[in-house]
Amino acid sequence: MLKMRGVAKSFITDTVKTQALHPFDLEIQQGEFVAVVGPSGSGKTTFLNIAGLLEEHTEGQYFLDEKETTGLSDKFKSSLRNQKIGFIFQSFNLIPELNLFDNVEMPLRYRDFSAKERSERVLNALEQVGLAGRKSHYPQQLSGGQQQRVAIARALAGSPSFLLADEPTGNLDSKMAEGIMSLLKDINKQGTSILMVTHDMDQAQQASRIVEIRDGYLNEQKVAKTA
Amino acid sequence: MLFYYIKLAIYSLKRTPLLSFLMISTISIGIAATMITYTVSYMMNKDPIPSKSERLFTVHLSTWGIDNMYRMRDGKEEIPVFVTYQDAMNLYNAQKAPKQTIIGSYKAMTRSSEQPVKDATSTYIRSTTYEFFEMFNTPFIYGSGWSASEDEEGAQVVILSKKRNEKLFGGQNSIGKEVLIGGILHRVVGVFDDWPLIPRFYLEEFDALTEVRDMFVPFRTQMNNEWVASKDSSIYCWGEFELSDFHSVINSECVWLYFWIELESAEHRDEYLDFVNNYAQEQRLLGRFQREQMNRVLDVNESINHSNVMGDDSKVAVWLAAAFLFACLLNSMSLMMTKFHGKGGEVGLRRAIGASRQDIALQFGLETFIVGLLGGIIGLGLANLGLLVTAEVYSHLNAELMKMNIEIVITTLLLSIVTSTLFGLYPIYRACKIEPSSQLKSL
Ligand SMILES: Nc1ncnc2c1ncn2[C@@H]1O[C@H](COP(=O)(O)OP(=O)(O)O)[C@@H](O)[C@H]1O
Ligand SMILES: [Mg+2]
Repeated sequence: MLKMRGVAKSFITDTVKTQALHPFDLEIQQGEFVAVVGPSGSGKTTFLNIAGLLEEHTEGQYFLDEKETTGLSDKFKSSLRNQKIGFIFQSFNLIPELNLFDNVEMPLRYRDFSAKERSERVLNALEQVGLAGRKSHYPQQLSGGQQQRVAIARALAGSPSFLLADEPTGNLDSKMAEGIMSLLKDINKQGTSILMVTHDMDQAQQASRIVEIRDGYLNEQKVAKTA
Repeated sequence: MLFYYIKLAIYSLKRTPLLSFLMISTISIGIAATMITYTVSYMMNKDPIPSKSERLFTVHLSTWGIDNMYRMRDGKEEIPVFVTYQDAMNLYNAQKAPKQTIIGSYKAMTRSSEQPVKDATSTYIRSTTYEFFEMFNTPFIYGSGWSASEDEEGAQVVILSKKRNEKLFGGQNSIGKEVLIGGILHRVVGVFDDWPLIPRFYLEEFDALTEVRDMFVPFRTQMNNEWVASKDSSIYCWGEFELSDFHSVINSECVWLYFWIELESAEHRDEYLDFVNNYAQEQRLLGRFQREQMNRVLDVNESINHSNVMGDDSKVAVWLAAAFLFACLLNSMSLMMTKFHGKGGEVGLRRAIGASRQDIALQFGLETFIVGLLGGIIGLGLANLGLLVTAEVYSHLNAELMKMNIEIVITTLLLSIVTSTLFGLYPIYRACKIEPSSQLKSL
């Protein structure tokens, strides 16, 4: 589903070149739950951004569903992001002036769905995260954990092939974090691949696969299956 | 999709009420200032009589003495816009144009015959010949102009303005009623309808912006009564004259009458000018017209430009107002930058979940459009309020000057929308440049 060959990323700022990611190969199959771990500043977010087509890699090839993504136009990449990828961020990133329904509906608006279909999808997604009853509420009226659930609903509404999550529980207390983790696992069981950056080794252990990034070098780790 | 963006724009404007208020009011104030000055200058400058402006002409003659120049203007010798009584009569009697008219002026005490003497009011009166009304498309509610024969015999007839007819006769059809002018009975033969002529091009400079006079009488009648406008209107003289003596004035070189002609077409102008120059040569042999001859025949628009009705002041005012609008727009642009800057996170997010640069441009473009539209609507209201106040302050000027027509209303809205969108382009461009990853990374 996702195949990277010799992908690398360097930033050039004022004559200084930072090699954020050294060339690596990686393949992720449909249905996998991959945790990305590593110290901060090592390149995890950069990796996730490349996987999510938010940033262009500077070397190598990246195939998404067998399709080469290097050098696609902004419009085309935008629509790929919209249809194939769901994003979940550490700080939720909900729009404060929009209610939950409108927030979740946002990605669907950039696609040709009828109003009826949009509404059905939004309600389903909210149902899935357990917030269907609060569609007219505003983000400020919810707890952090609930806000992240809304963000997950927003990521799910367009039925993407995979979810990208950058430290989705980083801003939550451990109890809420657990709730989010089990929600993500449920979603994964239903067939959506997940690529999640985390600091928490316990969470990483719950994934089906762990990738470690250290100083821009990407390595596969064995998962110690503790069933 | 459009409705979605309109909804987003409204939510977004409501989200930051102070910022939205500042943006919209800045634009509306700039628009109002511009449109107030523009309306006045537009009304002054538009062709007052489009159907005929190219074939109505006024005649100016070089009648001043060899040692007396009339005056200098812009470093050049000027000739008067008025003519003498003798020349007006000679040109009129020659009947060289299909239609010609003399326009004079005087002031007298007037009242209706039913009013007591103490109710008489001092009134500026226009005297002219019967051709005037047809030449200048004068509108009547009752009756019409007087006849050629009434003109010739100097009949005691009068035409009232709509306003004066309301005052004297309660707006009734007053044809046949009597009005006393300087103690002499005049019979009403016509009542004008509203006649919003801007500028009142058959007059010069300041008078061109006034409303129509309340009473019109035949020029011959004025002469028969030996009334001259000495103190009450513009009269310029050289040579020998005694202003208090009627016969002295009409035989002098004093100029105080407008002379207008209507030709079949603009092409006949040169022919008429030849006639005027020939006339000047004849007069020269009699000892008049001794200066270099600069006689001219000006059409309506030339005449307006010549008498500078518009005035350089009002042109400057329009430019100043435009500069003010520019400053307002720059201001609103910086407010928009602030606004859109605050939305960096939203832009990054929308980009990430699938909005293209175009989608973002459209979303913010619509927001600026709505700001411009609201600014335009409020600016329109303010401008009309401003014009009302201006009309109140300058009540001696024609009130029609301070009224917007539908073209100006549409222009105002368009100006507001186009300029604010134009000035919104840069903030929008900046918003589109936000990378989908940038805003999300640091969080
Ligand atoms: N836009 C950028 N320009 C320059 N350097 C960057 C940029 N984004 C990230 N980096 C650098 O790349 C490295 C990896 O950053 P990041 O992927 O955010 O790490 P992590 O998410 O693992 O904390 C860091 O050294 C960071 O300074
Ligand atoms: Mg990071």
